[in-house]
Amino acid sequence: MTIRFLRNKVVEVEPQPDGSLAVSWRLTDDLLKVEVNLKVQPPDLEIVATEAKLERLVPKAWQSAPELIKKVEGVRIGAGLRKIVQGFLGGEKGCPVLAHAALESSNAVILNFTRPGVQMLEGLKDDEKLSLTREMLKSNPRLIRSCVAFQDDSPIMQGLDF
Amino acid sequence: MITLNRSQVIGAEFPDEDTVRFNGIQDDHIYSMEINMDVRIADGEILAIEGIMKRYTNFVCPEAIPVLQTAVGVSLREDGWERRIMKEIGRKGCEHFAEIIIECGHCFDQARLSKALWEALEKDPGIDQEQFIQTWIDEHPENQLA
Repeated sequence: MTIRFLRNKVVEVEPQPDGSLAVSWRLTDDLLKVEVNLKVQPPDLEIVATEAKLERLVPKAWQSAPELIKKVEGVRIGAGLRKIVQGFLGGEKGCPVLAHAALESSNAVILNFTRPGVQMLEGLKDDEKLSLTREMLKSNPRLIRSCVAFQDDSPIMQGLDF
Repeated sequence: MITLNRSQVIGAEFPDEDTVRFNGIQDDHIYSMEINMDVRIADGEILAIEGIMKRYTNFVCPEAIPVLQTAVGVSLREDGWERRIMKEIGRKGCEHFAEIIIECGHCFDQARLSKALWEALEKDPGIDQEQFIQTWIDEHPENQLA
């Protein structure tokens, strides 16, 4: 059976020589072509620059997107981000695609910092991996009960008291 | 160089008049997962779901696969459906499965609109596509596009 709708999305993080992170978020599907670029400045992970371009069959309500995205400049990637972004880019006068772009770009920045730790576990023996994972949980308590692996009854959590 | 890349591909087919069938793939440097799910068009209810976990970070992750069945019965039209999916599937199962389900949900109305536009173009290749989009949005107040 043929596909009647196909969406491709990609988000990329590219560290820049000045220490900032360039985040490129792109979407293309049967109806829309969207590109959102963010510049994120460590260590506070502040979104310091933004741009957005929507093409193809853009609903009228979204045509202010290039101006709207500027509202997240100055926002820091961290606690409460979802509410802040929804406040700026969501709602009746917002643009849901932009809100998704901002949140997914921010998530990609976090994953970018997660990748080295995950790669560090590779090649270790199972008991060493388990031990390091438990140490990671102690230093990142926000992960506790964040997914099936870190629920109270998970074997990873055995012997830990949170 | 690029130090993190995440790609999502969502496809939608219409196996019958009442159902849209999504296939969603999410791939990044750390994780790779896939979701297949059927949604009833009339009310957005998830009718069936299955997941494949291809790349993950620890031996407990695959235990998230049976948790997916709690998504059956959730409607993509109900208030707070994204939060519910993230809570029920993401936190109790796997956040990355939840992300794919949510993206399939974001494509629900786009897929319906895309199908309607295709059918309209089959009847009249010269229609004003921008006007068709706007009219479809106005005539389908249940949509979450605007």
